[in-house]
Amino acid sequence: MITRFWAEIGTAILTLAFGLVIVKGSLEFGIGWDSSGPQPGAFPFYAGGLVALASLGTLALTFGKRLAGKAMLADAFLDAARGRRVLSFLLPLVAFVVLSVTLGMYVATILYLVFAMRFQGGYGWIASLATAILTAAFFYFALEKFFQIGLLKGPLEPLLGL
Amino acid sequence: MDNIANLMHGFEVALTAHHILLMIAGVLLGVLVGVLPGLGAPNGVSLLLPLTFSMDPVSAIILLASLYWGALFGGSTTSILFNIPGEPSSVATTFDGHPMAKQGKATEALSFAFLSAGFGALCGVVLITLLSGWVANFALRFSSPEYFAVYFMTFASFIGLGGASPFKTVVSMGIGFSLATIGMDSVSGNVRLTFEYDVLLAGVSFLIAVIGLFGIGELLLTMEEGLKFEGVAAKVRIGDVLRTATKLPRYWLALARSSLIGIWMGITPGGPTAASFMSYAMAKRSSRDPDKFGKGEPEGVIAPETADHAAGSSAMLPMLALGIPGSATAAVMMGGLMIWGLNPGPTLFTDRPDFVWGLIASMYLGNIVAVVIVLATVPLFASILRIPFAIIGPVIVVICFIGAFTAANREFDIWLALIFGLVGYLFKKLDYPIAPLVLAMVIGDKAEDAFRQSMIFSQGSLSIFWSNALVGTLMAIGLVLLFMPLIGAGLRRLRGQGETRTV
Repeated sequence: MITRFWAEIGTAILTLAFGLVIVKGSLEFGIGWDSSGPQPGAFPFYAGGLVALASLGTLALTFGKRLAGKAMLADAFLDAARGRRVLSFLLPLVAFVVLSVTLGMYVATILYLVFAMRFQGGYGWIASLATAILTAAFFYFALEKFFQIGLLKGPLEPLLGL
Repeated sequence: MDNIANLMHGFEVALTAHHILLMIAGVLLGVLVGVLPGLGAPNGVSLLLPLTFSMDPVSAIILLASLYWGALFGGSTTSILFNIPGEPSSVATTFDGHPMAKQGKATEALSFAFLSAGFGALCGVVLITLLSGWVANFALRFSSPEYFAVYFMTFASFIGLGGASPFKTVVSMGIGFSLATIGMDSVSGNVRLTFEYDVLLAGVSFLIAVIGLFGIGELLLTMEEGLKFEGVAAKVRIGDVLRTATKLPRYWLALARSSLIGIWMGITPGGPTAASFMSYAMAKRSSRDPDKFGKGEPEGVIAPETADHAAGSSAMLPMLALGIPGSATAAVMMGGLMIWGLNPGPTLFTDRPDFVWGLIASMYLGNIVAVVIVLATVPLFASILRIPFAIIGPVIVVICFIGAFTAANREFDIWLALIFGLVGYLFKKLDYPIAPLVLAMVIGDKAEDAFRQSMIFSQGSLSIFWSNALVGTLMAIGLVLLFMPLIGAGLRRLRGQGETRTV
C-alpha cells in the first residue's frame, strides 16, 4: 500500500527533477542579455526555476504537515485492490502502445480489444473477434478512406493488400 | 448598433445548410464525448482538431464549438441518470439531479438541466455579442507589456482563486510553459531544450498533452474507482418538457444569479467547473430551505447547470477578443485557430469579421440545436452507457491514441500521450490542477514573445510593467489576484481583532 505522504513526496521529487532538467538545458542557451534582448534560455530558465522552487515548497509543506501529524497523509493513495484494477487496465494499454508501433495501429486495435473482451470482460470468442474487427474496420474506412489520414501500419497490412 | 449589424452578417454566414449540418454533427459527437467517461470537451476538441485541418476555418470552428456545447449537455445527462459526471463541470449537477431521477422525476430533472443550461449559454452569448467588439477595440491599444500583464493576470488568478495548493498550481503552470519552449525558438531561430533528441525538434504539442492528461489519465482514474453504471431509465416526452418549462420562470432569481456567476468565472479563467460549484453553494446558502439541497431540489440542478454553460460560452469572449482562453477547452480551440493560421486577439475582429461573427451567430444557433438534440436523444445516449466498460474503456483508449497519432503523424506522440496519461493520473489523484498546464502550453510562446519584446523596449528593466496607467493597473490587479488567499486571511485576522476589541 502506498500512502498519500509518499505519493506527494515522490511526485514533488519528480517535478523538482523536471524543473532542474529544464533549468540545466536553458543554461546552454544563455539566460542573460545580448544585442537582441533576453537570450533564448532566459524564459525557460525562469519557468523551470519556478517549477523547481514550487516543488520544494510542496516538499516542505508535506513534511510540515507530517510533523504536525495530519491524518490525511497516512491515507492510502493506492491500496492493493485498487492497484490491481489500475494495473489490469494499464498493462494491456501499454501493450497496445508497443504493438501499435511494431505491428501497426489496426492490428494492435484488434489484438487489444480481443484481449480486453475475451480475457478481462469474459465475452465469447465470436463476440470479441467481431467487435474488434468491426471497430478496426470502422476506423480504417473513416480515417483512410473518408478523411484520407493514414495511421501507423505494420508488416501485416501489405500482405492483405491494404 | 454596429454589433447587431455584424451579428446579422454572422447569421448569414452561419445559416447555411452545410453549417447547420456541421452543428448537428458537432452536437451529436459532443453529447457522445460528454456521456463517455474519460472523454470530455477538451479531449473531444483535441481529437477532432486534426480532422479539421483541411476544412475552411469558419466551418471548422462551428463544428468544434458545437461539439463543446454538446459535451457540456452530455455531461449533465450522465450526472442525472447515472450519478456519474461525464464532465468535471457537471459534478455539482449530481448532488440534486440524481436524487430527483431516483424519485422518478428524471424527465423533470433533465428538462430543468437542459433548459436552464440553454438559458445560461444564451446569456453568455448575448454578453459576447454586446461586449466583444468593445473589448477588442480596447485591446487594440495593448502592446507587448500590456499583453504580458494580461497573461500574468490570467495565471495569477489561477494561483490565487484556483482553490488548489498554490505550489501545485505553479508547478503545473511552469511545466506547461517549459514544455511550450521545447523546439524552435521563434525569436532567435535557435533550437532549444531538445537535449539532442531529434523527436523533440518539432516541440511538444498541446493536443497530445490534452489527450494524455484528460483522456488516458481520466480513464485510469475511472478504472481505479471500479465504477458501475447503475442508471435510471428515462424517456423524455414533449408534454413533460413543456410542463417543466412553464415552471422554470419561478426560479428566475437562481437563473439570473447563476448566469452572472457563470459569466464572471468564464471571462476570468475560473472556468465552468469552479462556476458550477460556486453557483450551487450560493444557491444553497441563499435558500430559505438549505436542508432540501442534496435531496432532489430543482434549484440544485438549475443553479450549477446555468452557471456551467454561462461560463462555457463566455469563456469564448477573452479567447476571441484578447487571445486568452477562459477554459481548457477554449485553450484547445485557440490552439486550433493558430494552427489554421488565424491570430486570436483584437485584430481578428478587423481581419476576419466573417469568422468572428459567424462563430458568434453559430453559438446562438448551436445552443438551440443542442437543447433540441439532447432532449430528443436522451434514451439513445443513456443506452450507450449500458455497454459494459470492458468494451467501451478499451475503445476509448484506442480513440485517444489514434487521435494522438493523427495530430502530427508522429510515432513519438503515442509514447508521449502515454507519459502524459500517467502524469495526468498522478496529478489528478494529488489535486494538481491540470487546466493551467494546458493554458500555459497554448499561450506559452505568446507570453514569452510579449515578455521578450517588453524587455527589448525597456532595455531589460522590469519597470516597463509600471510605465503607464493601463499596464500598471493590469499588473496591480494581477498581484491582488495572486495574493488573494493571503489578503483574505489578513482581512479575517483584522476583523477578528476588531471583534475582540469591542467585546
